[in-house]
Amino acid sequence: MWNRGGSDVGQKHIPSLSTIARAPQRAFGQARRSDTVRGLAFFFWDKRWFFIALAVGAVIMQLPTPEGLTPAGQIVLAMSVISVILFVTEPVPLPTVALMIIVGQVLLLGIDSTTVARSLMSDSVLFIMGSLMLAVAIVKQKLDKRIAFLIVQFTGTKTVNICVGISLVCGVLASVVGEHTVAAMMLPVAITLITLTSDDPRQVRRLAAVLLFSISYGCSIAGIGTPSGGARNAIMIGYWKEFFFDPTNPETRKYIIDYVSWVLYCYPVFLAQLPFVTAILFFTFKPEYKTMSRAVVKLRQQIAAEGPMKARDWLVVAVFGVVLVGWVGYSDALGLGIVAVLGAIAFLVIGLVRWEEINTGVNWGVVLLYAAAISLGVQMKDTGAALWVANSFLAVLKPLSIESGPALYTAVSVLTTAVTNTMSNGAAVAVLGPINLKLAVAANESPLLIGYITAVSSAFAYLTVIGTPACTIVYSSGYLKTTDFLVVGYRMVIMSTLVLLVAATLYWPLLGL
Amino acid sequence: MSMTDQTPTTDSATRYAILVCVDGSDDSTRALRYAVRIGSGNDADLTLLYVRPVDQGMRTGGLQLSVARENMLEWGLELPGMKTLKKHRDMLVELGWLGEDWQEEFRHTDVSGDPLGDNAIVYRNDSGRSITLKLMVSPSIVHGILDESESSNYDLTIVPKPADPDGVLPGELTTRIAETVAVEHPGTVLVTQSLEENHGHLVCVSNNDNSIQAARRDAEVASRCACPVYLFAVAAEEGERAEAEVAIAAATEAIGELGINVSGAKVAIGDPVETIVDEGKNYSVIVMSASRQKAGWRRFFTTSVAYKVLEKAHNSVMIAR
Repeated sequence: MWNRGGSDVGQKHIPSLSTIARAPQRAFGQARRSDTVRGLAFFFWDKRWFFIALAVGAVIMQLPTPEGLTPAGQIVLAMSVISVILFVTEPVPLPTVALMIIVGQVLLLGIDSTTVARSLMSDSVLFIMGSLMLAVAIVKQKLDKRIAFLIVQFTGTKTVNICVGISLVCGVLASVVGEHTVAAMMLPVAITLITLTSDDPRQVRRLAAVLLFSISYGCSIAGIGTPSGGARNAIMIGYWKEFFFDPTNPETRKYIIDYVSWVLYCYPVFLAQLPFVTAILFFTFKPEYKTMSRAVVKLRQQIAAEGPMKARDWLVVAVFGVVLVGWVGYSDALGLGIVAVLGAIAFLVIGLVRWEEINTGVNWGVVLLYAAAISLGVQMKDTGAALWVANSFLAVLKPLSIESGPALYTAVSVLTTAVTNTMSNGAAVAVLGPINLKLAVAANESPLLIGYITAVSSAFAYLTVIGTPACTIVYSSGYLKTTDFLVVGYRMVIMSTLVLLVAATLYWPLLGL
Repeated sequence: MSMTDQTPTTDSATRYAILVCVDGSDDSTRALRYAVRIGSGNDADLTLLYVRPVDQGMRTGGLQLSVARENMLEWGLELPGMKTLKKHRDMLVELGWLGEDWQEEFRHTDVSGDPLGDNAIVYRNDSGRSITLKLMVSPSIVHGILDESESSNYDLTIVPKPADPDGVLPGELTTRIAETVAVEHPGTVLVTQSLEENHGHLVCVSNNDNSIQAARRDAEVASRCACPVYLFAVAAEEGERAEAEVAIAAATEAIGELGINVSGAKVAIGDPVETIVDEGKNYSVIVMSASRQKAGWRRFFTTSVAYKVLEKAHNSVMIAR
């Protein structure tokens, strides 16, 4: 029986994921596909970008090979264009693009299938896989309430202080464990504060915006702080090694970037952006509530019911501490990926997480996608396609007097920002990394500096829901409009770009770049 | 809790089934009120549908969004749309449509691509009348509404068409959604907009079977809510007036066969779309007929008066099929 105004239609009716296996099945669009003619019409309309992408790729391959580009490079370029169109428009599941890249290398480039298969696995891919397993393991530990307790303990009840606290804590955590982990953990904290303030989402629209964006942007600006902060960082570290390191030449040793070196270059960029995040959010949204006393008190009561940290909680902290020590001290020797995988093994062996939880919590298609994108990036380099695109881009920039220095840094940053707002930041670095690194060579700039600019700029995906994992996660709360990301995002882009340029021109040279 | 399939019972197959798409807005509240009015009596079943956009796993850097979603549920937070459905359920209680003695049944359907799937609560009274609150997941709201419409045979689908603000929250209905559903839907759709009750239905007729059938269909709907029916025909020029009058006469006769009186009839000369939109301002609903045969491609090629009226009207429009 129901109770009016009660919660019986609420979450208690949502079955746990393990108990719904016997339920009836439905696929999206099942009913509409039952009519053959309409089904075909919808199929071609839904997949139109797939066919357009293939057509564009075919046209590129049929064009006369431009001067300076090899026929193989032209094929790789066509594959890259097809991939980018499919990444952005998503007419097919994204892992399908990965499979197409793999098959394309064998069928179009004539590369041996074993060689292609080998190119799919690298330390960067191991890192992506390991950090995703760690992410699930950490989210499952329910440390979110402990973190929420810390935040409201120190920030008090003023909305502005709570937002600063959320951004700071999210940032510090996201700089080491990955933004999706932190966003998944912190989202319930923000939504609980919002719902405790008002049950009607329309009454707390702007408050919800500042709290939720404090999470997503706090995570986004921090993801570049350390190599373990995101896949893009590991991908760039992999590219530097793949493109420039020569074991027979000691001078190229500088292209092996260890954990601490990355932190020295990038963590200050994160810290410098932090104070601006809350300022921009408050200036843009002007929340309805200046204080959240009632919500904070209720939240404290909820959290207090959890009691003090238990032995299991401390064990989780200890295991992750060891992983962090491994990244800082041993990633140079072992690789970021092996340390991450070791951490996942530790969580599984101790029994802090079950394999079934990891298996369902990780989207393995993303690992495949990054692996294929990196493999394609290496082909861009090997076939000379990356250098040709870089030279062409430079030729376009020259008449604008953009050849080197801050002007070129700005151009690289703007290009990366534009691309990263249309696809995942990891994919953006995987696609643009080879081009930008070759651009650095062609423009006589440091590949390390241009690489850092590319990796850091890939975090400026503030404009769209799909830009960063954290943005997608907070959008799933149902409190944000897609236009909210545009309204506040462009201010964030300007701020972050300025901070990056200051770092690139004033701070990084002090470190030897 | 029980898990059952959605095969309608024999009894429910003969009942008048109304689907109301809701998003928590004032427009959807008004649409629900009107649905309640149309469904008054003991022979109508009502389904309230909220379509939740599917959680996009690939967009979250490889961490399935279900991990975050599960975390939220464990905090006691609800899925988006749950509050909206509860709000409308409470409204049905206030209107006396839902009583405390109704039986409650929970239904879940697995959906490939979203681990939490579709969830519904069905309330049923002793006479078999049912009210369903359905939280559905779909890649797009339009697909969700159309999937639901086609998987269960609703006699009437009501979709609110709100004035679009600058951007929408996930799950909110928009002008585009309402119009697309009206165009693609295989059955009768009422697109509500600034809906004011008690002003009657303006049924636009022309001299063809489709139009007359649509007039009959609307007369049935109008009689359910005791709304007066007015017939309206537009001739492009004076020479076509006779044909318009024939259409009015045929529709009056067809409706009369149902035992329903036509409250008024009028013929006007002018551009059909502009004239209907202008005349329609004084009524609760403008009723237009549409052809089933154009389904699928008509969205791209149609020059139908019905869809132009739907686009330009300032009040509610019913596309009767």
